Amino acid sequence: MNLRRIVYLYTPKFPRTVIYMLQTSEYSSNAYLKWLWRTQDFSLVQHRKTLKLTKYARLLLFLLSGGMLIEIAAGIALIVAGIITGNIWLWSFAPAVILAYPIIASHLIVLPLEAGRLLVVKPKSKKKIRHSESVFAGHPAIKIAVAGSYGKTTMKEVLKTVLSQGLKVAATSANHNVPIEHAKFAANLSGEEEVLIIEYGEGAPEDVANFARVTHPTHAVITGLAPAHLDRYKTLDAAAKDIFSLAAYLHSQNVYVNGESAAMKPYLHREYMSYGANGLDGWKVENANLGISGTSFSLHKDKINLQLHSRLIGRHQIGTLVLAAVLGLKLGLSAKQVEAGVAATEPFEHRMQPYELNGAWIIDDTYNGNIEGIKAGTELLSELPAAKRKIYVTPGLVDQGGETEKVHRQMGKYIAKAKPDIVVLMNNSVCGYIKAGINAEKNFTGELIIENDPLKFYTSLDQFVAKGDLVVMQNDWPDNYS
Amino acid sequence: MSKRTVGVFFGSRSTEHDVSIVTAISSIIKPLELSGKYEVEAVYIDKRGRFYSDPQLKDISLFSSGRIDDFLAKSKPVLMRIGNGLELVKPGLKSKSLKIDIAFPATHGTHGEDGELMGLFEMANIPYVGCDVASSAIAMDKALSKTIVRANGINTSKFVWFYADEYISGNKTAIDGQIAGLSYPLFVKPVHLGSSIAITKVANPKELIQAIELAAHYDNKIIVEEAVNNLTEVTLPIMGNEEPRPALLEEPLTKDDKFFDFDAKYLRGGKKGKGAKTAAGTQLNGYSKLPAPLDEKLYSEAQATALSVYRTIGCSGIARVDLLIDNKTRKVYFNEINPLPGSLYAHNWRAAGVSGVELVNKLIELADQRFAKAKDLQTVFATSYLKQY
Repeated sequence: MNLRRIVYLYTPKFPRTVIYMLQTSEYSSNAYLKWLWRTQDFSLVQHRKTLKLTKYARLLLFLLSGGMLIEIAAGIALIVAGIITGNIWLWSFAPAVILAYPIIASHLIVLPLEAGRLLVVKPKSKKKIRHSESVFAGHPAIKIAVAGSYGKTTMKEVLKTVLSQGLKVAATSANHNVPIEHAKFAANLSGEEEVLIIEYGEGAPEDVANFARVTHPTHAVITGLAPAHLDRYKTLDAAAKDIFSLAAYLHSQNVYVNGESAAMKPYLHREYMSYGANGLDGWKVENANLGISGTSFSLHKDKINLQLHSRLIGRHQIGTLVLAAVLGLKLGLSAKQVEAGVAATEPFEHRMQPYELNGAWIIDDTYNGNIEGIKAGTELLSELPAAKRKIYVTPGLVDQGGETEKVHRQMGKYIAKAKPDIVVLMNNSVCGYIKAGINAEKNFTGELIIENDPLKFYTSLDQFVAKGDLVVMQNDWPDNYS
Repeated sequence: MSKRTVGVFFGSRSTEHDVSIVTAISSIIKPLELSGKYEVEAVYIDKRGRFYSDPQLKDISLFSSGRIDDFLAKSKPVLMRIGNGLELVKPGLKSKSLKIDIAFPATHGTHGEDGELMGLFEMANIPYVGCDVASSAIAMDKALSKTIVRANGINTSKFVWFYADEYISGNKTAIDGQIAGLSYPLFVKPVHLGSSIAITKVANPKELIQAIELAAHYDNKIIVEEAVNNLTEVTLPIMGNEEPRPALLEEPLTKDDKFFDFDAKYLRGGKKGKGAKTAAGTQLNGYSKLPAPLDEKLYSEAQATALSVYRTIGCSGIARVDLLIDNKTRKVYFNEINPLPGSLYAHNWRAAGVSGVELVNKLIELADQRFAKAKDLQTVFATSYLKQY
């Protein structure tokens, strides 16, 4: 550790860095401490973002700074006591107390956090969640639970957009998908809604089973299975069992599953309804047309024929749109309402969101993803035309646990198969695995660029592209994974 | 293999000092670093002509905040050592030297773009980006470039040039006589300045005197030329050595009956970059139409004229040719040539499908090619001339 790094611990910036780390770790003591222990240079921590001084952050900053001052004061008191009493041990121990204050205080800060969580937040949340259970149980609406390792928010938003054409629909907002957010959602319901759409944000074993017990779903949509949150689930099988506990809750009735998720195949039951780019429940997809401006296809069954166009891009979106359309028809929407609903769907921020830069098309898919998302993104890159170059950019995936190497090698293979002209990887712990995966595919002839400063690259993208380029950027690598 | 070091030279004793800073940092250093292929050294020449080199000079905020003055006060200028290529020598008890493998000039106007800096690189025998000494010097002299271009059969508007001293101290009548042969409105320009600085459009002899006095503040050589009627002004960035490649013809948006001046080029343009598209697909970026909305025939003619000018002047690497078009007669006139376009005209190259990173990489490639070719030329010739002494 060089001198500059040590000096930083004693600057006024250090307490703010500590609180930033807590904030970015979503105040999870476990994640924060792991980050704290692996950080070698704290001056580099606030690289991509900086501390947002919320009320909560201010309180913690106050406690942390106060704790540091108390420790320094204690050290000075020891020196004084040592001098007065002539006890050499007291004042020789004092410098250690003073010098250790950044380390001790940055650990002790989790104590008020945990105490607050245990004594205030948890009891309050429990009460709210208990109350929400009675709200959900007594609500007459159709309650659609959306679960899966990926694609939940898109599915929820598409369902909401389409079903809202003829029904009163309420859905959990953004990616607010944990019990306390479900409880807040329940508290705002009027009771007159005809459809509730609830996103399940699983993160640890038993999560989905608990969500189902509280929200009492009548329908379930399982969007896909891929390695995610394996730091808590440990294995993909454990994650799958938790996600499919939702189907068990519904006794396999009204359960819709993404038939294109290869990893889900071992867990499928014949009573589940499988949706995908081919169709659903007898509805067939034909004439699919993909472009940067959206996705079009026809959907027909018997003599009914729907012409659908959405601004969502990518073949993998067809299944999502099909499910929303078919469910809409089942719930009483007319064909015209369904067509209008699908036409109203559009890309969500950082999820396959296209935009133009210097005449180049950028597909921003930088919301944290998974290997299935990578497959979809690379297939899209392969499928869409580019007048000039095809460029693929990624830092890799986070939270892949023991599957990290395997997943990133697979990722490299998917990238190589898309045959981009340029691949830009970020220099991090998974870069080598992706590179090995790319090199394993002999047909890759593009240029490989390893970027040391991702932030610099993303903010200078305008220098990198020109008219005719097509760029797919997938996933994000926040500061807490650096 | 270690990366080659590219020295980006900018600033200098020029009225376009500030434009040069933006060109260097935004359009050269940033994409060069992004390419990851080179070590990039910022070499700043201050307004007194002293050279400085420091990583902090890559940060535009050092200049925009005004902190540059403090920085310079605390820093020591570097020395230039030639003999073994070009080396920047940082003086001190333990002086440090840094070898520059390739020079990337980013200066505009006098003491740089005019060939002076290129002379240094020629003497140091290192590859450098852009036009060589002769073409830079010709291009930077509006009177000389027009004379050469005209002699090669390319249209220019009628013009007269003279030295400011001549006009002020005695020979005014003779010069006035020459100017009388031109039809108003006229343009009065200092011949060596770019970025439209001190250029005035005049409608009568009274305004003419004031305009000449203004131009004389900036340059000792002045050109007075006829304005082209029914005007469309276009500009074309070109890149290449023997086989120049054009970007897109661009039409600057001028204020009513005015011309494309410094403000329009660098101040308004920089802040109105949002862009919109016309029905014809031409991009409006707030200060120009890109590509210029000319019919196919006129577009081809203008492009061919610009390429012809580029070759006639002997340009290499990059340059931008400004043309004037009389919409009634459909006649294309050469106006001037800029051997180092502001910000490399990167916005135009991007629209032509060349990214900022590709542009700087290509320019370095062209510099290497020219350097390699020059190496094949004989520079010594054995004679018995000295034996007679």
